[in-house]
Amino acid sequence: MYTWVDPIPHGGSLGEVRLVQPTVMAHGGAFDDRLRLLATLNLEGWTIPNGELALGDWGEGFMDRRHPHTYVHEVMLSYVHPFGRSSASLAAGKGFAPFGTDDPMSRPPLRYPVNHHLAQILERAVVILGVRTGPVLLEGSVFNGDEPERPGSWPNMSRFADSWSARLTLYPGAHLELQGSHADVQSPEHREGFGTDQSKWSASGRWTGSLRSAPAYALLEWAQTSEADGFFVFHSLLGEGAWTLGRHRLLYRFERTERPEEQRLLDPFRSARPHLENSILGTTRWTVHTAGYGFRLTVARAVAALPFVEISYGRIADVNGGLFNSESFYGKTSFWSLSLGSRLNVGLPLHRMGRYGVAQDTAPMSADHQHDQHDHHSR
Amino acid sequence: MISMITTVDRQLLLTLLGAGLLACGDDSAVQPTVPTTIEAVSGDHQVGNPSAQLASPLVVRVTDDQDRPAAGVTVTWAVVDGGGSITSPSSTTGSDGTASAQFILGPTIGDQRAQATAEGLAGSPIGFTETAAQGSGGPLVLSVAGGGNNLADRYSSDLWVYGNHAYTGTWNFREAQGNVLNVWTLDAAGAPSFTSSVTIPNIGTVSDVQVSEDGQLLVLSGESGGDYGQDGGVYVYRLTDPAHPDFVGSVSVPYGGVHTVTLANLDGQLHAFAAKNPGSIGTDTQNQPALLIYNLTEPSSPRLVHREPIPPHYGIHDTFVRDGLVFVFAWDEGFILYDVGNGIRGGSPSAPVEVSRLITAANSSSSPAVHNGWWFHNPVTGEKRYLFIGQEGPGVIGSRSSGDIHVVDVSDLAHPAEVAFFHLNGAGTHNFWIDEPNQVLYAAYYNAGVVALDISGTLSGDLSGRLLSQIKPGGTGNTYTWGVQLANGSLYAIDMLSGLWQLRTR
Repeated sequence: MYTWVDPIPHGGSLGEVRLVQPTVMAHGGAFDDRLRLLATLNLEGWTIPNGELALGDWGEGFMDRRHPHTYVHEVMLSYVHPFGRSSASLAAGKGFAPFGTDDPMSRPPLRYPVNHHLAQILERAVVILGVRTGPVLLEGSVFNGDEPERPGSWPNMSRFADSWSARLTLYPGAHLELQGSHADVQSPEHREGFGTDQSKWSASGRWTGSLRSAPAYALLEWAQTSEADGFFVFHSLLGEGAWTLGRHRLLYRFERTERPEEQRLLDPFRSARPHLENSILGTTRWTVHTAGYGFRLTVARAVAALPFVEISYGRIADVNGGLFNSESFYGKTSFWSLSLGSRLNVGLPLHRMGRYGVAQDTAPMSADHQHDQHDHHSR
Repeated sequence: MISMITTVDRQLLLTLLGAGLLACGDDSAVQPTVPTTIEAVSGDHQVGNPSAQLASPLVVRVTDDQDRPAAGVTVTWAVVDGGGSITSPSSTTGSDGTASAQFILGPTIGDQRAQATAEGLAGSPIGFTETAAQGSGGPLVLSVAGGGNNLADRYSSDLWVYGNHAYTGTWNFREAQGNVLNVWTLDAAGAPSFTSSVTIPNIGTVSDVQVSEDGQLLVLSGESGGDYGQDGGVYVYRLTDPAHPDFVGSVSVPYGGVHTVTLANLDGQLHAFAAKNPGSIGTDTQNQPALLIYNLTEPSSPRLVHREPIPPHYGIHDTFVRDGLVFVFAWDEGFILYDVGNGIRGGSPSAPVEVSRLITAANSSSSPAVHNGWWFHNPVTGEKRYLFIGQEGPGVIGSRSSGDIHVVDVSDLAHPAEVAFFHLNGAGTHNFWIDEPNQVLYAAYYNAGVVALDISGTLSGDLSGRLLSQIKPGGTGNTYTWGVQLANGSLYAIDMLSGLWQLRTR
């Protein structure tokens, strides 16, 4: 993928070619599929060790670059037990805590949203108890609060179960999924556990179906993270949709998300890790419109390609005071981003990351309108 | 002190030479000054607060029979009544024939007396009658005297004033990187003007600055350097020309850099106590925060004499060294007290021995966040009872901050106990300076500017009633004060946004 962004930190523009989101997935099942294994390897530690150019993205020591994920993105073992018309499951391993919405990697736009660290909790040592009865799914989990620090990071097991989350999901119809979730995350940004804690809320509605007989997808989500007993509060509102007409796919995303401005290093795309204190330089609000077009090609049997173009336009606003001045830092308060490239999918379609046990049952691939799998299934 | 003694010796020698010439019977030679008379010059009939130092010193003059000033005469000072104290029991007349002393009033309201004695001189003893009255020393009111809004390209960090120069650090990135030390000249009235700057390569922030007691060396700490922000170290400059610090040596501290550095003379040798930040890209040992103790006997090559690991609970932020003890302020680990030459535990700079530790209360903040401190030696009471600790809570740099001042009773160094706190709504404290003779704590208070607290007497519970004065030198929206220092009769404040200020305290 080639990405061009204007402006970048300290002004000017920048273009880069990178291989992003290289993943290998594995599924396994036994005992009449009651025992299940889901695994996703992510190779971004090799392909984008210095992150992906993406103005507005942040987290894990990166600013205006999307950080590489850990090599073991998820490896979860789950056991599902039916109880009449209900079922329960216990899942454990390294993966997503039941909170918020899907991993952006498994959604139509290639560009990661600014709200990634407000709307998902991932790459943790997690144990999840799930119960499904009729249209109601309830999940609860405990996990380690610490975020990864680098692609090779593993969860700090001495902190296992210092954090928890719960997600209630409703299925009012065949195509609609509504969720509300909460998480208390201890010291996510200080591995030893002495950083500030976060209280997170999320609510979303996700629809997959057909529009004029063509597969379509829509998501509307709201998220909030309150940190340091409410001293810092960050909000996000995001809506996105995709529509596939034959080989053509159109997508659009609107996002308005607040992010903390952290002290930058001599490399202005990086921020200090580990933290020395609990201060930030300010809060910025990112209002971003992203539109995209893709064209599906069948390269060979079980090999699909989706050449695409994505264009983003955004505005940056400083909110709630602080040193950070976006106009001074970037040279302007609006930005453009252009990405050209191609998705490539080999083999079976991707699974919906972050759904384990009884939640996995609610995410059937045939009803899912994600990027690669969407194209794969629409052939 | 050494130069003072040398001067006195030279004056005595001249007096003896003069006497020798007189013995030769040469009436045309320079007449010797034979002290005959002592008289009061100034300082009598002052009014001040009980248990506080008078605003002006007591001054006497010694002359000969021709009313010429007599140098090198020892004057003895004593308190007659009222329970006060004299800062120095004796002093020696200078070339103008005067000698002086500071009088700290006792706690009793009313007249209090002190006297100056010079054996064998007419007029001796000289009596001084002063009055102690509540509030009569004049209210402490902070106001701007000079400076301010004098740096636009960089955010400022720490401050040190020595003689007629001030040195300030720079922080992170504004229009330019905070990798310079700024030098200021103070005019006759104490107002600062920018003089020069020194660039330190491969760091992102100059986080701390201090000048040695003799004014010969300046030491600064650097951090946030390199691609991962973990390069830094301790940098030493010679102040042969105080307006233009000359680099003489440094020591690199990778995997974290250095957050603060404190100078102290121990066993007659200059040492630097450096607070190493935690790192994340090295081994666990390399990453661990630590107290690094350097011997600076040879400034061009600081020699590490000890590395004391500190738990990585954000790590170590600052140190305070006094009487052979070092207080380490270690965030959620609280403060840790080591003997490095005091004798209480047999420690030394190369082998510190822990005396005690205490985690102060989080109060309304999210964690104890123990950041800095000052061990208060009260010359009025003679007590060394209180340790003041700054708590650095969450903040939005430039506009919001949080964190209280905590007071710990360390009269039993082995068993410290928190006894009091000061909270200011909407702001948090940062670095301190204490005017010990006057028992006033000045605290940089970020968006609240500078705060002055009365710390006399017994401290207990909520100290909100001890607030004496407060000032936002740059005004609301243009104030985020990092540090303060009392020097040359002025209070200097370094503000991250608005630069270096000279403040009046009365």
